[in-house]
Amino acid sequence: MSRRGGAFALLLLLAVMCGCGGSGERREVVFWQFWPLEVIQPIVDRFEAEHPGIEVRVEQLTWDSGKDKITAAVAAGRPPDLCELGSTYMPRFLEAGALSDWSAGVADLRDSLRGWDMCRIGEALYGLPWVLGTRALFYDKTLFARAGLDSSRGPETWDEVRTAAARIQRLGGGVHGYGVSLNDRQKLFKKFMPYAWGNGGEVLSPGLDSSRFGSPQNIEALEFYLSLRKVGTTGLQDELDKEFKEGRLGMQISGAWLLKQIPREAPGLRYGVALVPRPAADRGEHASFAGGEVLVSFKGSARKEDALRLARFLVRPDNALALAMSAQSVQPANVGADTAAFYREHPGQAMLIRQFEHARFTPNHPRWDEMEEAIEEEIEQALYDRKTAAQAIADAHARVTALLGR
Amino acid sequence: MRTHSRLTAWGLLSPWVIAFGVFGVFPIAFSLLASFTDYSPLRGSEWNWVGLAHYQRALADRDLWNALRNTGIFVVGTIPFTTAAALGLALAVQPAFRGRTLFRVGFFLPSVVSVVVLSLVFKGLYASNGSLNAALGAVGLPTPAWLQDPATALPAIMAMDVWAACGYYMLIFLAGLESIPEELHDAAKLDGAGAWTRFTHITLPLLRPTLLFVVVVNTIRSLQVFAEVFVMTRGGPLGSTTTVVFHLYEQAFGRFELGYASAIAWLLFALSMGLAWLQMRVIAEREEGGR
Repeated sequence: MSRRGGAFALLLLLAVMCGCGGSGERREVVFWQFWPLEVIQPIVDRFEAEHPGIEVRVEQLTWDSGKDKITAAVAAGRPPDLCELGSTYMPRFLEAGALSDWSAGVADLRDSLRGWDMCRIGEALYGLPWVLGTRALFYDKTLFARAGLDSSRGPETWDEVRTAAARIQRLGGGVHGYGVSLNDRQKLFKKFMPYAWGNGGEVLSPGLDSSRFGSPQNIEALEFYLSLRKVGTTGLQDELDKEFKEGRLGMQISGAWLLKQIPREAPGLRYGVALVPRPAADRGEHASFAGGEVLVSFKGSARKEDALRLARFLVRPDNALALAMSAQSVQPANVGADTAAFYREHPGQAMLIRQFEHARFTPNHPRWDEMEEAIEEEIEQALYDRKTAAQAIADAHARVTALLGR
Repeated sequence: MRTHSRLTAWGLLSPWVIAFGVFGVFPIAFSLLASFTDYSPLRGSEWNWVGLAHYQRALADRDLWNALRNTGIFVVGTIPFTTAAALGLALAVQPAFRGRTLFRVGFFLPSVVSVVVLSLVFKGLYASNGSLNAALGAVGLPTPAWLQDPATALPAIMAMDVWAACGYYMLIFLAGLESIPEELHDAAKLDGAGAWTRFTHITLPLLRPTLLFVVVVNTIRSLQVFAEVFVMTRGGPLGSTTTVVFHLYEQAFGRFELGYASAIAWLLFALSMGLAWLQMRVIAEREEGGR
């Protein structure tokens, strides 16, 4: 009797639980991403409204620990269905074969998005480019005017940068001409390489099978970068950004996050954004670093089709623009995004989209992060005067070559 | 009956035993196994035996030797200061005086704050335009970029560690001091012994077990220094603050080479065990010699 009663109670419990589920048919899609919920949730809400059968569980990761968490989830065989990955994470995940092949599901989007290099092996596509980021030259118009420089435009060549920095540096009173990045892992590379790329320098051959880092162009670029120390200051990215916001730094290469921070933290600052200067008016390119965020699914993800559906929704021009407008630190990967009204009203943001046309993605080589680290360590040696520019470039070249050989 | 009570004992212990098995024994055994394979978390079940290759690679890894050197400097450069400061503080706040509790709590406070929080605060303090330099500049002293100069970055982190850790060990010394019978001091006073004589002949010898504990535990903890480095310098500049555990972390979660990282972890474990054994031998032998 009591056993039968127990079974009845269990049935009742099950019935109640099903009842609570309401439309119990909704499929849950787990989405891990790095944006604050107030930025992403409105967009996800619209997706759920359009797809009543799908419920999205959004979880926010941090850039400090996100990669560890994703790695652990993949290792445990319980990865999220859809995940946002930074472009720098991609080589390792691609190499490990952990990502789901989306080639067929995204083929029709090829012409409408930029940044496929982040998620491609050969012709196979393992993700959708979502938003992009690059670096450009930020300059302080007030300091330019004080130093008797033309503050209506930024410097366009290396010589103009050096001259402007020298004149601003002479203003004294804690004001510096140019901000040179120091030992910032994964940041120094992005501050130095724009000049190297602009000078015709490269890291790897197009086939990713040999190092091209030891070129005279790269040595020249490093010598230029080192020379900026004399007409400026050195520091970590955070410190340089702080000095810039306080109106004490003439120029530096930085990213879109400043566009977001300045109106809030330094509303009075008069500043401009310009393309990264090139070696000379008749030579080189306004090159920069290109990075971005990619939407991926894992081989072990449970709901790959729904994940792709959500990803395709997120990269739609209106939704990517909504994210970019709300976050203000990235630009949509959609071709023609800069024609939106928002970018006509925000010239700094629009300049970053223009800069993106000259920007380089880092190669999807499985050992890329080690190569980038080797390059940063050698440039650091030069910045601390332990090596000459030529020696540092030669040593980095040798280390990159060794990594290719492994 | 006996089996029954044994079963009951195991039953009562089971929450701890299960937790220890799942979160203690299993990961430890797994990492030992992984150190002999090319295990990578992203590949999951595909792994191959590599034998002692990771251990051989570790011995030839110049970055690891550099990390070991930095860790050695950290251990040797902090433990004497932390121990002396902790003992000094303990002696200062042991006698009864007004506000004693306030001081005890104050000195202990850093120990209850997360290392990450402390590190963030000190990162701001040490910044080239931070408060420390503002204070130094105000009195006309040089203002180096503490965490960007390879010569000062590690000492700066060490100074913070001494400050943050000495309160905790003060508490342990206090417990040790409380256990020394007051009569010994009274007897010595009657014999005309001064404060210094009583300290060297009564306090220090009787405090030896506490001292041993403090030194051994602090050595093990210092060999594993990580969070400060992770937050404040990420191992830079020029690798001057890369410690063994930070290097290990980079191998494991930067490059996904969990096998190699596990091998480093086991080498560090062997080193910690060796050092602890040595310290116990040295301090215990002295104890015998003293008798």
